[in-house]
Amino acid sequence: MPIDSAHVRIRSFILNQFPLARKRAIGDGDPLLGSGILDSLGILEVVAFVEREFEITVADEDLLPESFESIASIARFVEDKRDRGAQAESR
Amino acid sequence: MEFLIHHMLRTSVGRLPDKEALVHGDRRFTYAEVWRRVSNLADGLRRCGLERSDRIGIYLDASIEQSLSIFAVARAGGVFVPINGVLFPDQVSHIARDCRMRGLITSAPKLASIAPILESIPSLEYLVVVGSDIPLGVKLPIHPFDVLCESSAPAGDQEASIEKDLAAILYTSGSTGKPKGVMLSHAQVIAGSSIVSDYLGITQTERILAVLPFSFDAGLNQIMTAFQQGATIVLRPFVFAREIVTALHDERITGLAGVPTLWSLLAQPSSSLQKGTYPHLRYITNTGGAMPQDVLATLRRALPTTKVFLMYGLTEAFRSTYLPPEELDRRPTSMGRAIPNTEILIVDETGRRCGPGEIGELVHRGPTVSMGYWGQPELTSRVLRPNPFLPPEIGEVEKVCYSGDLVKMDEDGFLYFVGRRDNMIKSSGFRISPTEVEEVLFQSGRVQGAAVIGVPDAMLGQAVAAFVVPREGTSLDPEALRAFCGEKMPPYMVPKSIEVLDRLPKTSSGKIDYPALRRRQGS
Repeated sequence: MPIDSAHVRIRSFILNQFPLARKRAIGDGDPLLGSGILDSLGILEVVAFVEREFEITVADEDLLPESFESIASIARFVEDKRDRGAQAESR
Repeated sequence: MEFLIHHMLRTSVGRLPDKEALVHGDRRFTYAEVWRRVSNLADGLRRCGLERSDRIGIYLDASIEQSLSIFAVARAGGVFVPINGVLFPDQVSHIARDCRMRGLITSAPKLASIAPILESIPSLEYLVVVGSDIPLGVKLPIHPFDVLCESSAPAGDQEASIEKDLAAILYTSGSTGKPKGVMLSHAQVIAGSSIVSDYLGITQTERILAVLPFSFDAGLNQIMTAFQQGATIVLRPFVFAREIVTALHDERITGLAGVPTLWSLLAQPSSSLQKGTYPHLRYITNTGGAMPQDVLATLRRALPTTKVFLMYGLTEAFRSTYLPPEELDRRPTSMGRAIPNTEILIVDETGRRCGPGEIGELVHRGPTVSMGYWGQPELTSRVLRPNPFLPPEIGEVEKVCYSGDLVKMDEDGFLYFVGRRDNMIKSSGFRISPTEVEEVLFQSGRVQGAAVIGVPDAMLGQAVAAFVVPREGTSLDPEALRAFCGEKMPPYMVPKSIEVLDRLPKTSSGKIDYPALRRRQGS
């Protein structure tokens, strides 16, 4: 699977689910938090999406503003989780 | 003597000038520091043109500036109108036009978002703006917030207001139409503060975490009780539940008020709340809807030394009931009984008082009954009516508040929520009028019929569900319609589900049959 596929899926989820993100033509590095796009309930939707879509488990310790501040940072977070999951499996 | 809301602050300043009053992130102000800025800002607002009884909007996210503005507007003799930071330009415009707002305190980024609608507000004469990066093209005079706060130039201190004067207008939704402004006098706000301080036992040792918006009566009441009692209030807007947990520890928080959605977030299995202990946390309060029983049980396990107060109130009467924590084991589903100095009556459709077990409307009498809806005397007269149980000799001097909430009472006088008398929706602590959402659905130009109801939701209390009939000969993509709604309304108002129907169920008189839609959803 190409490296950026998670990126693309996350972007399309955010743009579909949060109309304000599409209206403001949010780019991958633009802030989602504190700009009215993602609130505490929106974060829950994003978490449920990445858990389902990428078969990862998001723990409370993972719920940090820096992991969810933009589409790019969510993608990085997901890749990171998957890498760690893969490493754990191969051991 | 304390008869205006800023008098409560002034008394605490005199008593505890060096006590920490207001905290937001790294910024910590003592009572003396808060008072100096409030006084300067009040004078500055008068120099901007504020005259007695002017409505001044405060469109800011939770911040030091928002807190200072509330008390400064009061001190300058104005009426503060807090506007929730999550509202969209169209909703801000409605509020500003409705209350004939003369001045608006906002931030540079928020001003950029509402700049296009400013010309739709003919009454607006000046802006006070927090931060730089002022957008270009705004024609109104702009005064920098910080300059007003820091420059001391008394504008004359003749204070003419009395406790009967309007202090605040809180905008909230009902069962129909656009949000309405509930008018609160100084006396009503102070009474609410004194009463809540009394039953929660709030003193100057309290450190209160404010996560609810000040545009919401229970949120506003937190800063009022804190400043009245000389306590510390810590502002903590949050996105992640763990940010609240961190603040509880780091700030040694003693009191926290929330709505059911907040508690559901904190009680999630993954939440870090359950990994710590909170010896400082003396009490938590719930309002804005019933707390789900499983959430309540989880919280009580995670917070064994914390008192849990279940409360109920509606903006039109500020605060109405609370359940004493010692009753929680016996009646975990009760909304409690009347707050101090308040009487709750349960009245049936014929106007008779209900006995135990009988369902009737909750009617509130006491010093926190509001002045009604700004500019809507007819609607006011439906909700605030003369007390029907007084001897005729007294006349119709006392107004009581008909809540629209159906309740029943047990043998010991404790109340239980049954439902709404009308179609109003309550979701994550917000009141939502179905017609306001329906209007936006119609604005899309894609539907010929629309009806909106609330359906039970574990996280939100109620979720917004829409039923639409496409325009003749067209097909309709519910997702596209939902996206349209998301561009027009804040997230809490956007329907969670949209179902396409051939036609809407109607009553014999031709109106939309909302109960039939609710039955269809099994709610």
